[in-house]
Amino acid sequence: MKRVFHGALPSLLSIALALAICFVALALSRSDVHLATDAYAQMIFGGVGDFPSFTESGRWGVLTRPWGESTSRAALLLLTGLSVAVAFSVGLFNIGAQGQMTVGALLAAVVGAHVSLPAGIHPLVGLLCAALAGAAYGSIAAVLKVRRGVHEVISTIMLNWIAVNLIENWLVTGPLRAHSEGTVSIAGTDQILPTAELPRLLSDGSRIHLGFPIAVLIALALWAWLSRLRHGFETRAVGLGPEAARTAGIPVERRIYQAMALSGALAGLAGGVLVLGTEFRFPAVLGAPYGFDGIAIALIGQNHPIGVAVSALFFGILRAGGTRMQLLGVHKSFPELIQGLALLFVAARYVWRKLLSGRAARPSPRSSEVQRA
Amino acid sequence: MLELLEALVWSTLEFAPALIFAALGAVLSERSGTVNVGVEGMMRVGAFAAAAFALVMPTPLAVLLGMAAGALFAAIHAVLCISWRSDQVISGMALNLVALAGITFLLESMFGPSTSPSIAQLGRSGFGPLAQVPLLRALSGHTALTWLAAVLALAFHLVLGRTPVGLRIRAVGEKPSAAATVGVDVIRLRYLCVIGSGALAGLGGAALSTATLDRFEHNMPAGLGFMAVAAMVFGRWSPLGAFGAAAFFAFGRAVQIGLESSFPSVSDVVPKGVLLALPYFLTLVVLTLQGKKSRAPAALGTPWEPEAR
Amino acid sequence: MVGENGAGKSTLMNVLSGLYRPDAGEVWIDGTQVHFRGPGDAIRRGIGMVHQHFMLVPPLTVAENVVLGREPTRRGLLDLEAAVDQVGETCRRFGFKLDPRARVEDLSVGSQQKVEIVKALHRGAQVLILDEPTAVLTPQEADELVAVTRSLAADGHTVVFISHKLREVLSVAERIVVLRRGRKAAEVRASETTAEALAELMVGESNAAKVASQGARAPAGPVALRGEAIDDGVAVHGVSFTVRAGEIVGIAGVDGNGQRELAEILTGLRPASGSLRLMDTEVLGASPGELRARGLGHVPEDRLLRAIVGPMSVEENLALGRHGRPPFARGPFIDFSGRRAHAASLLESWDVRPRDPSQRIAALSGGNQQKAVLARELDADPKVLVVVQPTRGLDIAAVRSVHERLRAHRDRGAAILLVSLDLDEVLALSDRLYVIFGGRLSVELAREDFDERRIGRMMLGAT
Repeated sequence: MKRVFHGALPSLLSIALALAICFVALALSRSDVHLATDAYAQMIFGGVGDFPSFTESGRWGVLTRPWGESTSRAALLLLTGLSVAVAFSVGLFNIGAQGQMTVGALLAAVVGAHVSLPAGIHPLVGLLCAALAGAAYGSIAAVLKVRRGVHEVISTIMLNWIAVNLIENWLVTGPLRAHSEGTVSIAGTDQILPTAELPRLLSDGSRIHLGFPIAVLIALALWAWLSRLRHGFETRAVGLGPEAARTAGIPVERRIYQAMALSGALAGLAGGVLVLGTEFRFPAVLGAPYGFDGIAIALIGQNHPIGVAVSALFFGILRAGGTRMQLLGVHKSFPELIQGLALLFVAARYVWRKLLSGRAARPSPRSSEVQRA
Repeated sequence: MLELLEALVWSTLEFAPALIFAALGAVLSERSGTVNVGVEGMMRVGAFAAAAFALVMPTPLAVLLGMAAGALFAAIHAVLCISWRSDQVISGMALNLVALAGITFLLESMFGPSTSPSIAQLGRSGFGPLAQVPLLRALSGHTALTWLAAVLALAFHLVLGRTPVGLRIRAVGEKPSAAATVGVDVIRLRYLCVIGSGALAGLGGAALSTATLDRFEHNMPAGLGFMAVAAMVFGRWSPLGAFGAAAFFAFGRAVQIGLESSFPSVSDVVPKGVLLALPYFLTLVVLTLQGKKSRAPAALGTPWEPEAR
Repeated sequence: MVGENGAGKSTLMNVLSGLYRPDAGEVWIDGTQVHFRGPGDAIRRGIGMVHQHFMLVPPLTVAENVVLGREPTRRGLLDLEAAVDQVGETCRRFGFKLDPRARVEDLSVGSQQKVEIVKALHRGAQVLILDEPTAVLTPQEADELVAVTRSLAADGHTVVFISHKLREVLSVAERIVVLRRGRKAAEVRASETTAEALAELMVGESNAAKVASQGARAPAGPVALRGEAIDDGVAVHGVSFTVRAGEIVGIAGVDGNGQRELAEILTGLRPASGSLRLMDTEVLGASPGELRARGLGHVPEDRLLRAIVGPMSVEENLALGRHGRPPFARGPFIDFSGRRAHAASLLESWDVRPRDPSQRIAALSGGNQQKAVLARELDADPKVLVVVQPTRGLDIAAVRSVHERLRAHRDRGAAILLVSLDLDEVLALSDRLYVIFGGRLSVELAREDFDERRIGRMMLGAT
């Protein structure tokens, strides 16, 4: 337990620091400390539920509605965060979760709207197709990396913009555009069939849907895979020391392909959950860059599936609360600023280690060998 | 036909500077060994700062302050990557996220949700009689930034290839330990390059908000920073290569916009999205063909530890 | 200056060359105390350092590398013609044959070292520090270097020559400083000491006895590993050899003559044509995993790159390669308790310190890491073991321990192929040896034909 806490400390302190800095920025920009306090209170209550109001009125809705908002966002952050974390486990930096998610969202929208299936399996098929599409798209970067030595950071950046442009500026505005109903012109693709919608877990107006439990189960499964299974051990070995793994007889390329396909599948799944759970169509613009957020979520969660889940839930809550902050005139992207700053602080790992252990962090083994010269 | 070509050249020259500055910035940072995927965020900061300052001072001065803002933002990247040896890609992406959300916050608290108020654009210079000659007149009526972009690319090429400091930058990007043993201050040089990279990216951003448009729009630079990174890779990390790639991408964008406005029917055959995706696709193809022979500096992404034993 | 690996030679020299700053103490040059704030200061005071690992920028030319940091300019621009002239002049003056326009990455190791020396002399170095300069050279190249060093000294230069090869130091130096565990253990005149006395000073007490005697042992058994006409079309050309059960066969050669590639082919890391039979089964083209399953062990050259996964724990590293089998796994699951127990017993029997299986292996010293690697590979009881540079970077005690373990494994009937750039090591361990030059193997030499001078010539391509 102590070790877990010690490992998580840099992330916790980074988040605390980001929260503090943003608080000061907010108070200064409005020259009003009360407003900042109110805004933070709204951000929390808007995410975890309005407990004061609940104790007053006893209406569950004031709790479950925020839960729906925060878990639906947390589900997306968790899936894209896991996508990035899985790629990291095999040593690849998947900046392409955004593109893979876009591809997945499109597939889910098409399957949801144009394939008729019974209610029970329709969402599952939709999610599966989204995951497969994401996996296929993610695999491109893996193939280019393994076969041609193209750095995945560059290739996934390119693949993001290829996907986003082809889908948002062509398919969704052209061939796949919604059939207009009468005189109303609708942006985005056709609405998905009711059978394809992810089931709601509570009936009373909360948007809490199956996406979040699915994402949490996946996080647990990934944790078991990485820490308990041979296959996960091999994957980590490839990530931490590819040449040593190869020498030890681990099929390095295969593990890279598998992990990158899994990473793409998770991002694709995020797209599927977005479309089948909250948007119900591929909107004109996919909006929030959840794929990029996934990088922040994964790193703040230190690439550990459970850590990623905690960080996704936390920022899901802040984001849900962020919409409530708008009532006070604070832009809803404020939680994203907190998240960005937290990532920036987490990135300064060297400083954290130095501060927390009281001595300089040891250089990585590779560089120390080179430098010993 | 001539008119169309003229329009294309004109709009390429309008659109290219922002991309060229940013691509040159990316080259400067990466040739010295520091990965810069934070160009997008640095451009955003520069674009916003220039537009905001231009409200209270002459626009050229505001452009300089936009550069300074980009440089300041890049200084964070420099501290994180060079002094604190953070992962350079993570740092760059973190800066992008901070710029995205932070500038949105500033924009909203200063001007409202979607744009800043319009400002006086940078001055445009006509070429007198030249402005009458067909085709050549496409060169007339641009801001000084258009010409600065071309001059800067050439100057940068000269500096990198033909001056002592250029030789040192190349050495530091390829093998910092070798440069350090002959007395080159690796840390200082890398700081200068990363901060200079931010200044260039900031200038690129400022070009968007003070020359291409006359205000800061909420989604600026809308992926242009990543396109600048693509241009750098496409141009094989050389200043002239990045310049050429950026100009080529800008031409592509001009073609796409030109087609859309003059021949709307063409967009049924070649959709806009396909044209927009093309630069990234071409970069990917070039990278794939080059394979492992890419010209990335050898020490790119590796922090330098002077006291390591 | 002599001393074991890790005695502090390089660190001390890095202080003298301004790369590190001393916590205490003084540096004096020609009667003046100096304080270096960086390598630039040291260079200005006439100190030139030739690092063990070359400090050259591979894609730049010889001239660019030499003038880097004090470039000739004309109207603010780099004057490359002047640089070429100046560097050519320096080469002529000190008698080095180098093309200033050649790219460093195209040069041989020996030439690159010359570039390093020219670089120092070009900066007007009066004090030249050579850090393990002969480590990568052939005996002939090393002789040439010793001659160059002598002539520089005769010319009035001060030369600090660092080595752990005692005979070399005895032949090149007037005075010898012995460093032991970061302290000066002795300073002697070369004419008044012997290699044995120096060795004793270096390691302290009586650890000095050099190579353990071979001892009697059973004659070699049947052929366990047979290569025929192995060729990768790049670095290895038509290589044929045999290794019998119960013998160590050495492959000697200068770095860059295909030994690295040959080892990679034999261990499944590199494709090639020809034939490789492991216990009479054709295995050329098999993956490293298949080869391991068939009884091949591999101690790779680059420990940090290929043998261990630094951020993983010692126990995870001890499982690597066998992690799918008991006691390390049960079905698809990792067997944590079995793995921990086995690791603990290996650490005990191999005296790996610290005895903590959960420690990150990167935190161990090089010698303990190598012991862990050998423990893992030998514990699998391979019938054939390919060992590359097993003692690089280890101190004398660790070297001896590694050599003993390898001999013991051979005596248990294993076939061992030893590839090493350290000729002394090959001579000390091998029952037979081949010399590799330009990707081709020489005829085999039996132990009674081991003649250092002759082998040295063969390493340079003479027959």
